[in-house]
Amino acid sequence: MLKKNPDAFLPLKSNWFHILLCLVEGEQHGWGIMQNVLARSDGKVRLWPATLYGSLKRLIEAGLIVESGDRPAPEFDDARRRYYKLTTLGRRVLDLESQRLKDLVRLLDARRRQEART
Amino acid sequence: MSSWVTVCRRLYRRVARTFPSEFRAVCGDGLEQLGEDVLPLVWQQQGTTGMIRLFADLAMRLPYEYLSTWISTAKELTMTDDVFEGTWTAKSEASQWDVRDNPKPQQACMRFEATQTGYLVVAYGIVDGKAVAERPQAISTDGRRRPLLDLNGRPIPGVPPGAVAFGSRSDSQTLEIGAEVDGKVLSAGTYKVSADGKTLTATNEGVGLKGPYKVVWVFERVVPDPYVPQG
Repeated sequence: MLKKNPDAFLPLKSNWFHILLCLVEGEQHGWGIMQNVLARSDGKVRLWPATLYGSLKRLIEAGLIVESGDRPAPEFDDARRRYYKLTTLGRRVLDLESQRLKDLVRLLDARRRQEART
Repeated sequence: MSSWVTVCRRLYRRVARTFPSEFRAVCGDGLEQLGEDVLPLVWQQQGTTGMIRLFADLAMRLPYEYLSTWISTAKELTMTDDVFEGTWTAKSEASQWDVRDNPKPQQACMRFEATQTGYLVVAYGIVDGKAVAERPQAISTDGRRRPLLDLNGRPIPGVPPGAVAFGSRSDSQTLEIGAEVDGKVLSAGTYKVSADGKTLTATNEGVGLKGPYKVVWVFERVVPDPYVPQG
């Protein structure tokens, strides 16, 4: 079933969040996403291939990403690879999840400040 | 490269190819390519531990993907007596038609035929006293985005390049369909069959060549189905 309401995806699965975050910067292929997540997390999060492709499949089915028909310039392209990009729904879900996480951090900070005062 | 890594790459490729066809239809051969590419790197960086993790990931995901596929298939199988299949004729007086420069048809019929991935829908009727038929439309109900092309895989006039269509079955009585290009919605609609299976309400709205449109058609099932040999 297609969940067209972005709120229905929250809280976003960790793997999904990392993948969507990579695709904010533009289209990316499986290898690129894997390396990007690894680098972004200082090597703490490694999306192994089967987990990565399982997540990509479900993100496509949920309508958060699509396979891109556009190819990079031939000198930068690897013909074997499939490229993925965010949909508008995917971007919206990512925004909402980011806001949710920000709110949680803000809440935690406020509680810590309150504890420090008392 | 050591022969050990070569053997592991071959093994990885073989196991990756045993993933269900539904998985491979979406991911292509991306999994085996990525696995093969990443394998020497993992061996170099993490040695045996990394290889165990790499294959464990594959081994754990394989039954999960099969289970997921079986559950989807079981869901489809339990949807007995497909409520959409058959021929439907429009109740013009109960329908709304808001399509710029296109007159409301005097008669309209739809026929749903089940396919492996969903339905083939054929719509025809009478407009301005002339018999007309719409281009047959394939509706997939697995939620996947597919290029919006005609049944022969050719572009449809008036449909922007890169447009994708999708559909899903939210319950046994309802189909949700849509089309979009670059995240912009071109059309969205539902087909809903009444609880008694006699009425089909089709809603569709979007932006066509001549501007926004909205259509709500109420259909009645044609009994007996004129396309099914009787007796």
